[in-house]
Amino acid sequence: MKASTGAFAIWCGRLALFAGAAVLVAAPWLFRVTDIALLTEFLSLLTIAVMWNLVAGYADIVSVGQHAFVGIGAYAFFGFAVIARIDPFLAIPLAALVALLFAIPVMAIIFRLRAAYLAVGSWVVAETLMLAAGKLSAFGGGSGISMPVSVVRIFGAHPAERYATIYWIAFAVAALSLVSTWLLMRSRIGLGLTAIRDDEQGAGVVGVNLSGLRILCFLWAAPFLGLAGAVITLQKLRVAPPASFSIIDWTVYVIFIVVIGGIGSFEGPIIGTVIFFLIRSYLSEIGVWHFIILGVLSIAVVLVEPRGLWGLVRRFLPEDVIPITRRPPLPGRPTEQASRPAESIAHE
Amino acid sequence: MLGGWLNQIVQGVLLGGLYATFAMGLSLSVGIMRFVNIAHGDLIVLVSFLILTLTTTLGLSPLAAVLVTLPITFFGGYLLQRLLLQRVLGKGVLPIILVTFGLSIIVQNGLLGTYGADTRKVAGGSFETATLMLGGGVNVGVLPLTIFLSAIAMVVVLDFVLYRTRLGARIRAVSDDVAAADLIGLPSARIYATAMGIVGVTIAISAGFMSIWTNFDPTSGPSRLLVAFEAVVLGGLGSLWGTLAGGIIIGIAQVVGAQVDAAWQLLAGHLVFLAIFMLRPEGLFPKY
Amino acid sequence: MNGTPLLSVESLSVFYGHFRALDAVELSVGAGEIVSIIGANGAGKSSLMKAIVGQADRIEGRICLEGADLADRSTAEIAKAGVALVPEGRRLFSSLTVEENLRIGQEVGREGDIGFDDIYRMFPVLRERRRQLARQLSGGQQQMVAVGRALLANPKLLLCDEISLGLAPVVIGDLYEMLPKIRERGIGILVVEQDISRSLAVADRFYCLLEGRVNLSGRPAETSREIVARHYFGG
Ligand SMILES: Nc1ncnc2c1ncn2[C@@H]1O[C@H](COP(=O)(O)OP(=O)(O)OP(=O)(O)O)[C@@H](O)[C@H]1O
Ligand SMILES: [Mg+2]
Repeated sequence: MKASTGAFAIWCGRLALFAGAAVLVAAPWLFRVTDIALLTEFLSLLTIAVMWNLVAGYADIVSVGQHAFVGIGAYAFFGFAVIARIDPFLAIPLAALVALLFAIPVMAIIFRLRAAYLAVGSWVVAETLMLAAGKLSAFGGGSGISMPVSVVRIFGAHPAERYATIYWIAFAVAALSLVSTWLLMRSRIGLGLTAIRDDEQGAGVVGVNLSGLRILCFLWAAPFLGLAGAVITLQKLRVAPPASFSIIDWTVYVIFIVVIGGIGSFEGPIIGTVIFFLIRSYLSEIGVWHFIILGVLSIAVVLVEPRGLWGLVRRFLPEDVIPITRRPPLPGRPTEQASRPAESIAHE
Repeated sequence: MLGGWLNQIVQGVLLGGLYATFAMGLSLSVGIMRFVNIAHGDLIVLVSFLILTLTTTLGLSPLAAVLVTLPITFFGGYLLQRLLLQRVLGKGVLPIILVTFGLSIIVQNGLLGTYGADTRKVAGGSFETATLMLGGGVNVGVLPLTIFLSAIAMVVVLDFVLYRTRLGARIRAVSDDVAAADLIGLPSARIYATAMGIVGVTIAISAGFMSIWTNFDPTSGPSRLLVAFEAVVLGGLGSLWGTLAGGIIIGIAQVVGAQVDAAWQLLAGHLVFLAIFMLRPEGLFPKY
Repeated sequence: MNGTPLLSVESLSVFYGHFRALDAVELSVGAGEIVSIIGANGAGKSSLMKAIVGQADRIEGRICLEGADLADRSTAEIAKAGVALVPEGRRLFSSLTVEENLRIGQEVGREGDIGFDDIYRMFPVLRERRRQLARQLSGGQQQMVAVGRALLANPKLLLCDEISLGLAPVVIGDLYEMLPKIRERGIGILVVEQDISRSLAVADRFYCLLEGRVNLSGRPAETSREIVARHYFGG
């Protein structure tokens, strides 16, 4: 592909991104209530996907227990807004804080496991937290509890108004998580993370503080997941252990989204979430088969192009659509001669 | 009162035997191939449904059904490793987790599509309900006792295969240093596949026991995986006797937890696991 | 040398991705001959060894054992055909016993008259330690196991990659004294070393590698050390 076509494609990509963002900003005036609800769900899932990508794709913490923090956020929000009767708008950031506080002991447990075992270890922790949530009688025990109407009203007297408010909260959460994570990736820290993604051992050798970065990413993700949990609770208007801590919704789908879209890139989770919603809206009537298709697709991605759909597209593009490292565009394939390192010759 | 507690502990130990059979295959794949197969529990459930089908449609006894599935699961494990898992082995942690994760979802939903969401159980006949009264308030079911003794037999046999046979030496060699094995001409891919075939055999045995003793449905896999994982980690990675001990600890924790409050069974198992893990992250009998 | 050599390597190039580690290397080893490859770090010596046993990512050129092309053969088949490698850094199976390590060498190899007794006669200490785990041995003893493991495969061609690495001079001396005895059995030996004097002392012929190319070859007795040193360092 010629350089000019590549640059053109990049700008098309950026244009599409801005158009998408513009549609999201205008959505409350453009769409019906049911579509707004769907977009709210989209934004929550996007937030969770961006965070899983940061944790698994860059920091190499392959957790399958991230749904725990969504659940903690949901329960904390409910606790502050309904049980403690704090202003629900204040309860949302507080839910993020609680998720962050929980992340510290969780990290202390799962970081003791070697990488290969951390996945199931994080799942055990998430399962434990879910079962523990089911023992909280103030939260309805194992069957959960609905938000009282008085609290729901605060977000809008009419359903339409309420959906719009919740949509804006979801929008703010997604925007905050995308922009701040993008800034994180553009900082020096991001360079270190890219080094880990590309070659963990090499990154350690060149002096990247591996464990520091892993801790940072894990703690970074937790409050955003907590925020997503609060939004989801607002949308569902209830908390319940299997729904608030849903491994299918907040981990299984999210892993499929990130893997298919492209793990270890900033564009991947965005593309993946869009594709996921397309698949779900067109294939949901085929029931279990949409899971099977997603599973087969993600295995195929791992075998064929581990960097996902975005990795496939990226082969033909000179740079990222969302630039995170300020590097000159990659040069073309090095020639054999040029790639041959100058051998340092030992002297006696 | 004391007899009641003693009985609970005995029941926990026996339940631990079942858990150990779940964990045995996982322990092998963790110890040899150094990966955790996220689909392990789902494969156990898949084979349980196979046994269910064999007993209900062909009218086979559970024992005969398990015997029929043994070769199927051996070759199933062999081919799974050879055709799928081998392609992502040695490429880091992420690909193998993602592939087994995808497999887990495929198996669960394939079963849901085929058998529906109903809870199932394989009928074990009178064998299932027979009980030995041991005095002191301790009752031992014949089925749980058989399973427990089989778990011990599995450890003995697997230990023998791993440490006393040519195949076992090769498996341990490949697990020590696969690149060295390749360099001197050991066919590591075939050896891994054979090891996974053995894992398949343990899966068939545990599926046979599980399908008679407990209810299962297409989404039961993850809970079996978690229990198996806990037993493996508690026992110390790579130690089969440790895995048995780990299974017993989880079993006792669950039964005693359920004694306090029926709803505490699962939570008690996880909490005891987390507590012991924090104190001894390397497990009780670490081998590596 | 008459007839086909035991090993002949014809314009062999070895690649790691786009990097060419060996460039059009030509060499041969006869039966009952010790051939030494010398070269500095990164010259491509281990890459040559890996290519011969069929473990290089991608090669160009031909590698023939007794005239038969080894292309498309797996390492296991090459081992059965009579090529055994003592890998760089020994690479024993550390949690296997000495005896198990040796037995694996025997199993991957071909039928022949070298048995456990021969190895234990060569390295008596291994007989005493045969039930110990490989990782419990000293470096020198581990190297003996590595050599024994390769010899038990009854190779026609023995490849030794830096068997002196990290060992005390006395131990190295002992190991190098074994090589002529092995040659007497008609086995061809390809020895890779950075230690020039040690390997040239036992070799019938040698090749010098510099940055993937053979830049000097000959017989140690007929080549002055200055010339060897100059080519070794690329002067
Ligand atoms: N797996 C690999 N991937 C990429 N490059 C490699 C790989 N193995 C070796 N190389 C490169 O190929 C060249 C030759 O390496 P090789 O190991 O054959 O050298 P050597 O002569 O054995 O060195 P040494 O004396 O240090 O053992 C080196 O420049 C090395 O960096
Ligand atoms: Mg070398």
